[in-house]
Amino acid sequence: MQTFTINPELLYNAKRDGFSDKQIAEIFHVSEDEVRSERKRLGFIPVFKTVDTCAAEFAAQTPYHYSTYEEENESVRTTTKKVVILGGGPNRIGQGIEFDYCCVHAAQALAEEGYETIMINCNPETVSTDYDTCTKLYFEPLTFEDVMNILDYEKPDGVIVTFGGQTPLKLAKQLEAAGVPILGTAPDNIDIAEDRKRFGELIDKLGIKCPPYGTATTEEEAVAVADKIGYPVLVRPSYVLGGRSMEICYRPEAVSEYMASAKGVSHERPVLIDRFLEDAYEFDVDAIRDKSGTVIIGGVMQHIEEAGIHSGDSSSVIPPYDTSDDVYALIIAYTRMLANALNVIGLINIQFAVKDGTVYVLEVNPRASRTVPFVSKATGRPLAKIAAKIMSGRLLKDFDVKDFDKHTAYVAIKESVFPFDKFPRVKMFLGPEMRSTGEVMGSGADFGEAILKSHLAAGIKIPTEGTIFVSLRDLDKKPRTAEIIRGFHYLGFRIIATSGTTKYLAEHDIPAESVNKVSEGRPNIIDAIKNGEVQLVINTPSGEISRIAEYEIGWSALAYKVPFITTLSAAASIVSAVRSLRKGERVVRSIQQLHTELVLPI
Amino acid sequence: MPKRTDIKSILIIGSGPIVIGQGCEFDYSGAQACKVLRQEGYRVILINSNPATIMTDPEMADATYIEPITPEYIEAIIAKERPDAILPTMGGQTALNAAMKLNELGILEKYGVELIGAKPDAIKRAEDREEFLATMTAIGLEMARGGFVKTTDEAMQLIDLVGFPAIIRPSFTLGGTGGGIAWNLEEFRDIVQKGLDASPVTQVLVEESVIGWKEFELEVMRDMADNVVIICSIENFDPMGVHTGDSITVAPAQTLSDKEYQKMRDAAIKVIRAIGVDTGGSNIQFAVNPADGRMLVIEMNPRVSRSSALASKATGFPIAKIAAKLAVGYSLDEIPNDITKLTPSCFEPTIDYCVVKIPRWDFEKFKGIEATSSQLGVQMKSVGEVMAFGRTFKEAFQKAIRSLEQSRYGLGSDGKDEFEIDEMSDVEKIRTMEIIRERLGQRRSDMIFTIRYAMKLGMSREQIFDITKIDPWFLNQLEQIVRREGELRQAAALV
Repeated sequence: MQTFTINPELLYNAKRDGFSDKQIAEIFHVSEDEVRSERKRLGFIPVFKTVDTCAAEFAAQTPYHYSTYEEENESVRTTTKKVVILGGGPNRIGQGIEFDYCCVHAAQALAEEGYETIMINCNPETVSTDYDTCTKLYFEPLTFEDVMNILDYEKPDGVIVTFGGQTPLKLAKQLEAAGVPILGTAPDNIDIAEDRKRFGELIDKLGIKCPPYGTATTEEEAVAVADKIGYPVLVRPSYVLGGRSMEICYRPEAVSEYMASAKGVSHERPVLIDRFLEDAYEFDVDAIRDKSGTVIIGGVMQHIEEAGIHSGDSSSVIPPYDTSDDVYALIIAYTRMLANALNVIGLINIQFAVKDGTVYVLEVNPRASRTVPFVSKATGRPLAKIAAKIMSGRLLKDFDVKDFDKHTAYVAIKESVFPFDKFPRVKMFLGPEMRSTGEVMGSGADFGEAILKSHLAAGIKIPTEGTIFVSLRDLDKKPRTAEIIRGFHYLGFRIIATSGTTKYLAEHDIPAESVNKVSEGRPNIIDAIKNGEVQLVINTPSGEISRIAEYEIGWSALAYKVPFITTLSAAASIVSAVRSLRKGERVVRSIQQLHTELVLPI
Repeated sequence: MPKRTDIKSILIIGSGPIVIGQGCEFDYSGAQACKVLRQEGYRVILINSNPATIMTDPEMADATYIEPITPEYIEAIIAKERPDAILPTMGGQTALNAAMKLNELGILEKYGVELIGAKPDAIKRAEDREEFLATMTAIGLEMARGGFVKTTDEAMQLIDLVGFPAIIRPSFTLGGTGGGIAWNLEEFRDIVQKGLDASPVTQVLVEESVIGWKEFELEVMRDMADNVVIICSIENFDPMGVHTGDSITVAPAQTLSDKEYQKMRDAAIKVIRAIGVDTGGSNIQFAVNPADGRMLVIEMNPRVSRSSALASKATGFPIAKIAAKLAVGYSLDEIPNDITKLTPSCFEPTIDYCVVKIPRWDFEKFKGIEATSSQLGVQMKSVGEVMAFGRTFKEAFQKAIRSLEQSRYGLGSDGKDEFEIDEMSDVEKIRTMEIIRERLGQRRSDMIFTIRYAMKLGMSREQIFDITKIDPWFLNQLEQIVRREGELRQAAALV
């Protein structure tokens, strides 16, 4: 290995210009570690300056710092026991405000436990970077170099890497190797959950099922794996958050096409291929485990959208609305088994799919998940706070917290919002790739009231009367679908549909009028939307309309603010919402009231 | 002035779900407002439909409603809680629109609720283009010439006023599409007609082009005693034509002479007084023509904004917290600065460092049918942002790049470069130059890396400025980084 030498003045000047160790390492063809140790040997370590509103004219009381390469260090170190919390960095699709919420709660909880709390984050929009949130704030990039500079100086008793999403998690192993004390679940156990092979071995040992899967690095391999496990398959790269570049393939050609366009696939980073469980119900569980092995179920959610739509994009309902006691008991039992097997200390999130009465585990995340704030608000229990205290060594028995009880007296629904209106001519159909930017919650005495509120909060205009347009793909032309559309008929909506769908509806005695597709002449469905003649569009892709024509319908619906529904379950939820809206009452309940009055005694 | 005792309970309206253009900055401002108003002894009632926020934690308010932010539900909450006042300036445009709607529907009057922070007439003056223009004209400030039209004939009447090139922007189209720049009458008529067709309300904005002008923002606060302070000046690295939310921004402003800055400062103070935001913060945007220094007012947000969150973090001055206190009657001199505890809030922040914000995009998730959908324009497309501090622009800029977590560790030389210019033959360099020159002319989100390639290929600052209109001062800074990279490479070659 080449050793790194550099003119000290040049190195210092480069650091003052903001060059990272990594850039210098790249230019000199050495490792980042070599640059780092040489830099430290030369005594070039950053100092921390204070953001004080007054250019140091008055003494600052608030420790709000940034690093720079200069002489005088203004950050005052204490000998109090302290914890560093690594934030979530910039918001992006798949990693949003939910993780900032968790980090802020960790800070609050550990302050209550008597720790000095130190936040590192670089996102100016957040509460975590409010200097009031922590004892100390370092406004710095979340890279190994910048984080280590702070940790070297502060020497904390523990670092929390599991609350800020993927950003700090990516650093966990490197920090641990550098001797940093990581709080909570050990990085190696997190790795088991993320490594397909190790995870497969674990659940085999536990006797828990997951959809058949395999990995591949080449096109031939991928097609062979898919043939073996059976279609449809879900293909995706390893190590992702927010489901980047995931696709559901129904045919070998689609798998080949995916492999041809997949970037950066290697033996370390293969493509994962799972059997896709069509028409399965999906569930999300958030739980906390302490070091003594006690597990508390924080909440169990059932998704509204069918399997195949990213969990961050689908609506989640608390409590589960359609599950047998046996399935529910199995979900809870598996959650405990997995939390114990991974020796989790703190939060764990597990996604399950249920098909034909069989429970499959889809994903295990031994860290704070994006559903934690919703579950906390819906159930009145601050899960992130409790988990942070557990990670600092406390036990669950110290807190008055019981397992989630599915017999809640109200329903809470989380619904996602999408930025399709910002991107001209974007593909608007939901899939395994997450694309929502945010979420809303609706709660009510029943499903209808809750879904009405979540739809309204998400900006969907719920019609009480008028015309709906329906276009269904052949796969959806099932008896269950007819019952959903019949719901609209009973509510008095006029139904217009593409010719094939009209025929299907007629077979089920649902009156519908045929309307022209774009290719069939004028006036067509887009004219009807633009003329305000349609109040709701239900279009499940890909129906009898070509893809591009479907997009055209979606874009006109979006431009003319007509709700554009692309899944059957969402269509069914609109029926419930219309019924609730027609009752005409607007009941509002504060969450303080929900949490105290409406939860049934356990 | 002491705080108001005639109001006991205050309803704060949040901003709802995180969407592009309205992110978690309003959780930050809303949470601060809740905290401060409760400390001041008010009963705080909150509505926000977003459960992932800190502000909707049960201990932040006396009564927290996670309900849809629509007039019907807000009215139900008002009927139940009977607040004395509503603070609508903490929850972005959502909250401001909701408050205006409540006012319009007579709900505020019906329940005897007062808007605090900004009054309906001030909000209207700031947000209605006609009224805002009239107010600016009255105080002697200029705006871009133009107006809304509903027919081609109306548009033709505006063209003498606007001149060429003219910008045509249809109202309420998806992603702001369907507009364009016209350089002659034929093009103008054509683009206006297409724009009117594309707009669901058959309306386009016809405006004088200020594309390529420098863009600035000032964060301003005013109290009931008419004290006005400037919290922070922010300069956009990207010139006019790119949404502020999609621009790299720098605080404090770097390229204004003191005289120019004082002129802008005076203008900002005039604007907040004339619009009549009497308690709280506002964000005022300006454009400056680099050729002759002509200054235009672009717009004003009579509320806390994404930029005020940035300004708060950049200076340490908690704008939302202070704005909430001003809304209940305090004056700036009565509120101590939390950081120093010694100075009052009427001291304008001074900063001895540089702050750079860079947006974060997720274009790969929103591939449209056309490739142009990943270009930047007047419609904001970024989903998040990072900020970094440094003693110099160069340091803050490179730290901000590595904060983005897109596997970039600075301005290039990080193993992720698309072009390895140093390894190229002369022929390859010529070919690459063609690509780079073309990219410089497009408003791509990877502009800073393109500029680096251009510099490494030997383009001068002047040439790059001619195409991009990015201020030569910024280009000089980037050039210094590229030069330092060259020194490092030279040293590496000798090892």
